[in-house]
Amino acid sequence: MKRKAFKFGSLLLALVLLVAGLSACSGGETEEQMVLYTWEGMFPQEVLDGFTEETGIKIIYSNFDLNETMLEKLSAAKGGDYDLVIADDYIIEQAVAQGLVGELDKSILTNFQNINPLYQGQFFDPENKYTVPFGAGIPLIVYDPEAVDFEITGYSDLWDPRLEDSVAMIGNYRVVNGITLLSMGESMNTEDTAVLEAAGEKLLGLAPNIRMIQDDNTQNALLNGEASVAFLYTSQVTTALAENPDLKVVYPEEGLGFGIMGAFVPSAAPNAAAANKFLNYILEPENAAQCFNWLGYYCTIGAADELVNPALVVPDSVTSGEIVQNISADAEAVHNKNWIDFKAACGA
Amino acid sequence: MSKPSVGTKKRDFWWMCVVPLYLFTLAFILGPMIYMVAVSFATNNPSGYGFQWIFTLENYLRIQDPTYLQCFRQSFELAFSTTALTILIGYPYGYYMGRLSPKGKKLMMFLVMVPFWTSSLIRLYGWLILLQAKGVLNGLLQALGLIEDPIKMLYTYPAVLVGMVYALMPFMILAVYSSVEKMDWSLVEAARDLGASPVKAFWTVTFPLTLPGLLSGVILTFVPSMGLFFIADLLGGNKIVLVGSLIQDQLTRGSNWPFAAALAVLLMAMMTLMIVVYRKVTHVSELEGRL
Amino acid sequence: MKTKKLKFSTVYLWIVTLITYLPILLVVIFSFNDSKLTVSWKGFTWRWYQELFRDAALMEALGNSLLLGGLSCLFAAVIGTLGAIGMARVHFKSKGMMEYLSTLPIMVPEIILAMVFMAFFSLIGLPFGMVTLVIAHTAFCIPYVFMMVKARLVGIDKSLEEAARDLGATPNRAFLDITLPLIMPAVVSGCILAFAMSFDDVVISLFVTGSTLSTLPIKVYTQLKTGVTPKINALCTIILMVIIVVMFVWSFLRKEMDQSKNKPKK
Repeated sequence: MKRKAFKFGSLLLALVLLVAGLSACSGGETEEQMVLYTWEGMFPQEVLDGFTEETGIKIIYSNFDLNETMLEKLSAAKGGDYDLVIADDYIIEQAVAQGLVGELDKSILTNFQNINPLYQGQFFDPENKYTVPFGAGIPLIVYDPEAVDFEITGYSDLWDPRLEDSVAMIGNYRVVNGITLLSMGESMNTEDTAVLEAAGEKLLGLAPNIRMIQDDNTQNALLNGEASVAFLYTSQVTTALAENPDLKVVYPEEGLGFGIMGAFVPSAAPNAAAANKFLNYILEPENAAQCFNWLGYYCTIGAADELVNPALVVPDSVTSGEIVQNISADAEAVHNKNWIDFKAACGA
Repeated sequence: MSKPSVGTKKRDFWWMCVVPLYLFTLAFILGPMIYMVAVSFATNNPSGYGFQWIFTLENYLRIQDPTYLQCFRQSFELAFSTTALTILIGYPYGYYMGRLSPKGKKLMMFLVMVPFWTSSLIRLYGWLILLQAKGVLNGLLQALGLIEDPIKMLYTYPAVLVGMVYALMPFMILAVYSSVEKMDWSLVEAARDLGASPVKAFWTVTFPLTLPGLLSGVILTFVPSMGLFFIADLLGGNKIVLVGSLIQDQLTRGSNWPFAAALAVLLMAMMTLMIVVYRKVTHVSELEGRL
Repeated sequence: MKTKKLKFSTVYLWIVTLITYLPILLVVIFSFNDSKLTVSWKGFTWRWYQELFRDAALMEALGNSLLLGGLSCLFAAVIGTLGAIGMARVHFKSKGMMEYLSTLPIMVPEIILAMVFMAFFSLIGLPFGMVTLVIAHTAFCIPYVFMMVKARLVGIDKSLEEAARDLGATPNRAFLDITLPLIMPAVVSGCILAFAMSFDDVVISLFVTGSTLSTLPIKVYTQLKTGVTPKINALCTIILMVIIVVMFVWSFLRKEMDQSKNKPKK
C-alpha cells in the first residue's frame, strides 16, 4: 500500500514540477522589453527596429483581431501584461471606465504638442490624460464607375435595387447601423430604441444587395470584380485607389462617421516607462510620417503633416463628421440584434 | 478474461497508467465544462463586461428567437450536406487507395497527408484565388468560351460547401482507408468463387466490412463541420451565420458570456445526443482512422 | 496480371488528388507574385521571401508554433498512450465516462473549447501564455493519440504478451519488449496527426494565448485591417518544401533501416 501511495505521489509531483518548470521558462526574461498590443501590421518594421536601436528596449508585438478581444484580454489581465495598446476610440472609453488605463507620463512625452489638436479632447479622453491619437479613419463608399451605371452620392444609394448582390461591406456593426441611421437623418449615437428598431427594419432591406461582409481585405472584393460598390475603412480605400485609380470615392452627403485610433498605457503595465518612450519616439515628425505612410490612415500628428502623403492629411469636411460613441446598454442591445438579424437575412 | 490469480497484481500496475489521463481530464476538461454549464445560468451584466451569479433561464429562452433558430437550422443543414458529400467523394477514394500496391499506398498516403500540414486558412485563400470573379476558374471558362460574363461563385452557399468538404475530406479518407486495409480479402474471393458478381460481392461482403471505417468517418467529419465557422466567413462572405460564429460573436463583440455559454451547452447537448443515438443505431464504439 | 489499360480507380484517385492540390498550387504560385494583393498576376518576384526572413515577429511566431506543437504532442503522447494501455486493462466504473470525457475535445466544436478554456483559466488565475496554450493544445491532442493507440491495442494479439510472461518475463519486461514496440507506430501516427492539428489551430489559440505570444496561425488570422501579404504564401511554400523533404528523407531512412534489419536474417 505504501509503495502504491509513494508511486502515486511521485507521479503527481512530476506533473506539478513539469507545469512549474514550464511557467518558469515562459517568464524568465531579463532583457528590457515592451509589449505592444494592437492589430497586426500597424507599424513598419523599420520604425520598430529604430526604437530598439535607439533605446535597447525590445518590442514584443502582440496582436488581437477585434477591439473586443483586446478588452476581454486586458480585463482578464487586470490592466497588466501589456505595456502599450492601440485600439479604437469607443473601446478606449470602456477601458477607461473599467480602470484599465493609466495616465500618460508627460515628463517623458516631450513631443506631446506635436499632436493635431483636432483629434484631442475627444469623448474618450476629454482631458488628454490617457491617450495619444494614432491615425483617424473615415469609412467611405468606393465604387467602380464601369460596373455601376448611376452616380452614387450617399448612403441611401446603397439600397438602390440596381445594386443587387453587388455591395461589399465592412463588418463593423456600429458603423453599418450608423450609416443606416444617418440615411434616416438620425444621429449614429441615438439611444432611442424605437428609432434603432426602425433602423433595423431598414437595414434588412439592404440584405439583398449585400455581396459579402468582411472586416479585412474588403477592398479585394472591389478590385477582383466580386463587388461593384464597397463601403470601406480608410486604409482599405487607400489600398484600393493605389491598385485601381479609376475607382470613385464618395464622401456621402448624409454626413461622415469617423473614428480615431488611440494609444494608451494600461493601468498595471509592467513597463510603463518604455511605453511612454515609444510614444514619444513615434511622435517625432519623421517617424510619425513613416508610420502613417505605411498605415494609410489620416495623420493625427500635426507636426508630420508636411512629411506625410498629402492624401492622408484631413480634408476640411472631416470636422463635420460624427464619432461613434458608446451608448446605453439598451441601445447597444438593439444594435446587436439588428446586426445579427441583418447578417442572417443576407444568407437566407 | 485473464487468470484471476494474476489479475490483482496486474491491476496494481495498470492502475498507475490511467492516473495522468484521469487527472488531466478531471482538471482541464470536466472542470471547465462544469464551469461553462454554471455560467450559462448566470445573469449577464447589462452595463459592460462580466456577469453575476444570479440564477436565470433567460439565456436559454432567448435562443427561441427566430434568428437564432435559423442559425441552428443552417448549421445542421450545412453539417449534413458536408458529411454526405464527403462520403460520396471520400469513400471511393479511401476504398481505391486501400486496394493499391504497397508502394502506391505509401505515395497516396503521402499525398493525402501533405495538405494537412499547410495552414487551413491559407488553403482557403487558395480557393479564394481560384473561385473569384476574375479568378482562375472563371478565366478558364471564359477562355474556353463556355461563359461570357464571370459567374458569381464566391460568397455563395456552394462555395462554403466546397470549402467544408475540402477541409474535412482527409478524415473520411483515412477512416475508410484504415478499414479497407484491414479487410480480409479472401472473404471477397470466396464470395466471387461462389458465383457472386463483383457488384454483389461488394455490397454483401466489402461494404459491411468497411462500414466501421465509414461510420467513424461520419463522426470525424460531422463534428468539426459544426464548428468550422471561419470557412463560412471566408468563402461565404460572412452571410451564413452558423452557431459557431454566433458564439464567437457573443464572446467578443456582444460580450455576453452567459448567452454564449447557453448556446454552447445547447449545441453540445444536441451533438452528444446525436452521437449517442448514432452509436446505438450503428454499433460504432471505436473511431478508426490511422495514418 | 496487370493490364496497361487505365483503370477507373486510378483516374479517380488522381483527379481528386489534383483538385486537392489546386488551391495549394495557387498559394505557391502567388508567393512569387509581384503585388501585395492576390487579385491578379503582376510578374515574378523573390520580394516576399526576402521580406519574410526580415520579419522577426513572424519568425518568432513560427518558433512558438513549433515549440507549442512539440510540447503538446509530447504530453499528449505520454498521457494518451499510458491512458490507452491502462484503460484496456482496468475495470473502473468510471471508465466509460472517462473515455467519453477525454475524447470530448475533438467531439465538440473548437469555439466551445476555446471559450471554456479561456473562462476557466481566468477563473483559476492561470496567466495566459505558453502554459495555457500547452494545456489547451494537449487537451485536444490527447484524443488523437489515445484513439490510435486504443485501436492498435485491440488488434494486438494478447497471447504474445502472455507467452512472454509464461516464458518467465516480468510484466514490465513483457510490456516493454512486446507491447510497446507493437503500439509504437500508433503512437507515432497519433503524434503526427496531433502535431498537425496543433500547428494549424487558430480558434483555440486565439482565445488562450497571452500578451507576448503569437503562434503562426494567429499571425495569419490577425492580419486584419491591413491585409494578408504574400509573405504568408511564401512561408507556407517553405513549410511545404520542408515537409516534402522530411517525408522523403524519412521514408528513405526507413527503407535503409528495414534492409539492414533484414539482412542478417538472410
